[in-house]
Amino acid sequence: MTEMNLVQAINSGLRDAMLADESVLVMGEDVGRLGGVFRVTQGLRETFGADRVLDTPLSESGILGTAIGMALHGLRPVSEIQFADFIYPGVDQLLSEAAKYRYRTAGEFHVPMVVRTPYGGGIRGGQYHSQSPEALFIHTPGLKVVCPSNPYDAKGLLLEAIADEDPVLFFEPKRVYRAVKMDVPDDAYTVPLGKAKTVRSGEHVTCVAWGAMLFEAFSAAEQLAAEGIDVEVIDLRTLWPLDIDALVESVHKTGRLVVVHEAPRTCGFGSELVTLIVERAFLHLEAPPVRITGWDTPFPLTHEQEYLPLAHRIAPALRDTARY
Amino acid sequence: MHVIREDGSLDPTLDPGLSIDRVIGLYKAMVRTRVIDDRLEKLQRQGRIAFHVGSLGEEAAIIGSAAALREHDWIVPCYREVGALLWRGYPLQRYVDHMYGNADDPLRGRQMPDHTFSRAHRYLSVSAPIGTQIPHAVGVAMAARARGLDECVGVFFGDGATSSNDFHSAMNFAGVYQAPVVFLCRNNGYAISLRVEQQTAVQTMAEKAPAYGVPAVRVDGNDALAVWQAVGEGVRRASGGGGPTFIELMTYRLGGHSTSDDPRIYRTKDEVESWRKADPIDRLRKHIDRRDAWSDDLDEDWRAVCDAEVKECVRRAEEKPSPELRDMFTDVYAEQPWHLREQEAQCIEGPRARDDEEEP
Amino acid sequence: MARLDFKLPDIGEGVTEGEIVEWFVGVGDTVVEDDPMVEVMTDKATVTIGAPCDASVERLCFGVGDVARVGQVILTLESEGASNVDSAQRSSRPPATAVGDIQDHVPGAGLFTPEEVPTRNGGGRRGSVRPAAAAKRRSLRTSAESVGQISYFQAKPLATPATRRLAKDMAVDLRRVRPSGAGGRVTREDVRAAVRGQMTDDKPHAQLEEREPLVGMRRKIAERMQHAKTTAAHFTFVEECDASRLVDLRARLSDEASRRGVRLTFLPFVIKAVTEALKRHPVLNAEVDEQTNELVYKKYYNIGVATATDAGLMVPVIPGADRLRLFELASRVEALAKAAREGTLSPGDLRNSTFTVTSLGKRGGLLATPILNHPEVGILGVHRIKDKPVIREGQVVPGKVMILSLSLDHRVVDGHVGAAFAYDVIETLENPERLFYDAL
Repeated sequence: MTEMNLVQAINSGLRDAMLADESVLVMGEDVGRLGGVFRVTQGLRETFGADRVLDTPLSESGILGTAIGMALHGLRPVSEIQFADFIYPGVDQLLSEAAKYRYRTAGEFHVPMVVRTPYGGGIRGGQYHSQSPEALFIHTPGLKVVCPSNPYDAKGLLLEAIADEDPVLFFEPKRVYRAVKMDVPDDAYTVPLGKAKTVRSGEHVTCVAWGAMLFEAFSAAEQLAAEGIDVEVIDLRTLWPLDIDALVESVHKTGRLVVVHEAPRTCGFGSELVTLIVERAFLHLEAPPVRITGWDTPFPLTHEQEYLPLAHRIAPALRDTARY
Repeated sequence: MHVIREDGSLDPTLDPGLSIDRVIGLYKAMVRTRVIDDRLEKLQRQGRIAFHVGSLGEEAAIIGSAAALREHDWIVPCYREVGALLWRGYPLQRYVDHMYGNADDPLRGRQMPDHTFSRAHRYLSVSAPIGTQIPHAVGVAMAARARGLDECVGVFFGDGATSSNDFHSAMNFAGVYQAPVVFLCRNNGYAISLRVEQQTAVQTMAEKAPAYGVPAVRVDGNDALAVWQAVGEGVRRASGGGGPTFIELMTYRLGGHSTSDDPRIYRTKDEVESWRKADPIDRLRKHIDRRDAWSDDLDEDWRAVCDAEVKECVRRAEEKPSPELRDMFTDVYAEQPWHLREQEAQCIEGPRARDDEEEP
Repeated sequence: MARLDFKLPDIGEGVTEGEIVEWFVGVGDTVVEDDPMVEVMTDKATVTIGAPCDASVERLCFGVGDVARVGQVILTLESEGASNVDSAQRSSRPPATAVGDIQDHVPGAGLFTPEEVPTRNGGGRRGSVRPAAAAKRRSLRTSAESVGQISYFQAKPLATPATRRLAKDMAVDLRRVRPSGAGGRVTREDVRAAVRGQMTDDKPHAQLEEREPLVGMRRKIAERMQHAKTTAAHFTFVEECDASRLVDLRARLSDEASRRGVRLTFLPFVIKAVTEALKRHPVLNAEVDEQTNELVYKKYYNIGVATATDAGLMVPVIPGADRLRLFELASRVEALAKAAREGTLSPGDLRNSTFTVTSLGKRGGLLATPILNHPEVGILGVHRIKDKPVIREGQVVPGKVMILSLSLDHRVVDGHVGAAFAYDVIETLENPERLFYDAL
């Protein structure tokens, strides 16, 4: 066990994966000599060499397109897209190619690749260093989407994602990168994909969050505990495929749901979660499900604390929902 | 670069020195591809298949390239290169089954006709978005080298694809990483209706390559032996660690872009006729005739054999049932997640769209 | 030989029709597979369509210049082995083409009929309410209005899904639950309160009113009465009866009765008279089976005795009343009345009566219109015997007079039949020695 922050835990996961499996390689802009702009890949090039830690040209479609080719041949590339905001030039490769290759070859070819990318706001990054584009990928059949909130889950989920036979988008909450520290095993271990975690049990209202917003949801829940409102907080960890059972079970108990995410509200993943709950737990609902999200604007700079669905917005929503 | 001269003789400085048997093998494959194309186009016209994208006039560029690649090299297709797949021994019946989207379609009716693939034949999958396959080729090549394997990749694309995002990404990556790739640009004059002069302001596609540090050669794509020679050199360079090669295969699409296209709208009869004179099959035949190794009778027999073969495949394909409905829900992920299990059940147990034909 | 109807195929990019440019074949011609048959011009391309097989041309369905729709038969061929082609043509509705299967007609396209144009005088309506939708709204309102009793909602009550579920489980009509939640919502507590009968009301007269829920026995009675009243066609026949001899007889028997520990009222005499009369008027001891639409005559005589209790009206039953002696009847009547008052009746005591007698007691009024104990077809209300002047042999003398109010189901009992039964009973009560004819 070593106390690690999120950056160190992911670095440790990459190191373990590369040690265990020669077919794993890391590629992306500035990931080698620099160790990535967030230093997530620091030291890997020294250990594994430039052939397994590729500093790539500045081209997302090149990174993702060649990674697909590598995966088709049998490697397990872990690509880094420097910011999730920059993924769009490579999105065609993910949506049209990585996501569909297995289907369009009836399983003869598949693309076991991981795309790591820091996402989310709260670092004074403005429009192009703050976005949360997870819904785009959840919407695409064939992709898996993971979003850890903490160092322990991050390493375990990353190792599981690298071992997975399907393309996995791995969203890293950059706001949490150095903000949360916890004991993480030095050896390899896994956290299963598709399993949510109840981080706080409660009777009155279910609050679903992931990534950086989990901590906001949790602190809102703690505030409400003083008022006698008992909030259950669920960390989805894997966004897709979703742990639907955990969600339904919780709402069966509480009858109330608040979903929190940074991405804009309209057609965000919260819309899907609310729909699923309405479809599956309708007769248990005591209150309309609520989404506390980023606003439907591009991500701002000066007012980012008002844009983000932080505890000051989550707590009243939980209260209103509990008292509805 | 030409190898076969007007009179059918070979340029001695470029003669790849192929045995007459190999040359005839090449010729027969080109003829077979054309017969199959012809038959499929007729089937489409009769409403028996939905769509076909043929290679009329481009057989030398496609099959010449495939023949020059080694068996363990990879082919990354655009969509007009089924001749290359058949060259590698892909069963014609499987291809025709795919064209019908029937129960034996390896794609299980999930894609339009002419979206072939085969891992066994090291032939990646056809994708409709233009240029997306080019970085895959570079990635496959990089992976092969990373794993210490002597495998090259031949990647096909058209003149239009050189305008795509992915073309630039892939060329750049190939140059930077010196990937063992042979870029096979079929410059057939048109991207659907757009003339190549409007596609790019430079005179040739080949001159784009040096900007990425990739050596380039411009070849008469209707000269099968020139194609063979050039691609062979590219393979040797890649295999020897010399990195990628860009080959511009100058050819002409004698047919429409696909069966959905009417090329009469955007080009003249005269233009097409002038290119007919450069028909790659006639070109190679001329050379073979000069070596006195083929005859009209043999030629006719071979065409009849090919046509009978494809007709028999069609007959069988038309008798086969549709793929299972549940095939729609598999292969999205390695393991079927809960939501697809659920949707599969909803679909299979739910109401069906009427598929009987609307009677006017 | 097989006939092949050759349909115009979708020859690319989802075209829907094509113009016949030129026929290369005529009727009677033989064609070899792939021979050009026809040139067709679509909005995308002009293409030549070849023969699908060796055949002879039987019929051309379109002339040059005609426009054929995709899927229409454009010519008919006679051929061998055409079936294959036929099925291929049928099954190959293209799954897609280069730019997708563009159709010029989709099912349900007719939904979008032109909007109503604003009229010159009518001031112009924005959009239009479709008649069906309007009718639906009307019917919704009607159904809300038709709900009797107190209704707190015009249409749908406001409640969360979980509350609706609770209300459904507890058989509570949400429209009648007074809402106490925010925005006029019915809460779970409101539903529970409604069940407990603790509905409160903040309307002006609420303080002057008291509410009691119709639950338990009362609800049961209400339902049964309502059902009887809305099912059977009630009519009531009233006649008086000179009970002088009956009073006399009872007086003479009372000593013996008390010696045997029996409290003898007039009711056993009436029951005895009724069972005897029922045997002579079998339609009165019957029921209407509404399921099968049959009249069921009963050959057993179980007499219900309507009894007032604190909880409400009950009808305990004396099975086989016709076979009981007078004193036996008397003690059964007494025992049942006691059990009813004490609430110790067993369910079996309340079942299978075939005719009901109701003793209207001291304050029975002049006459009554008893409600049938459905599904029986007759109920006899017995009023208190009063001292009244009667005329006997031309002389006004003091008499003992009893009124009988007999309600009957007119669906099966005609007026004169009911009257005959009534007079039969009266005859016995006026001449109670008839009760002992069997003992003679």
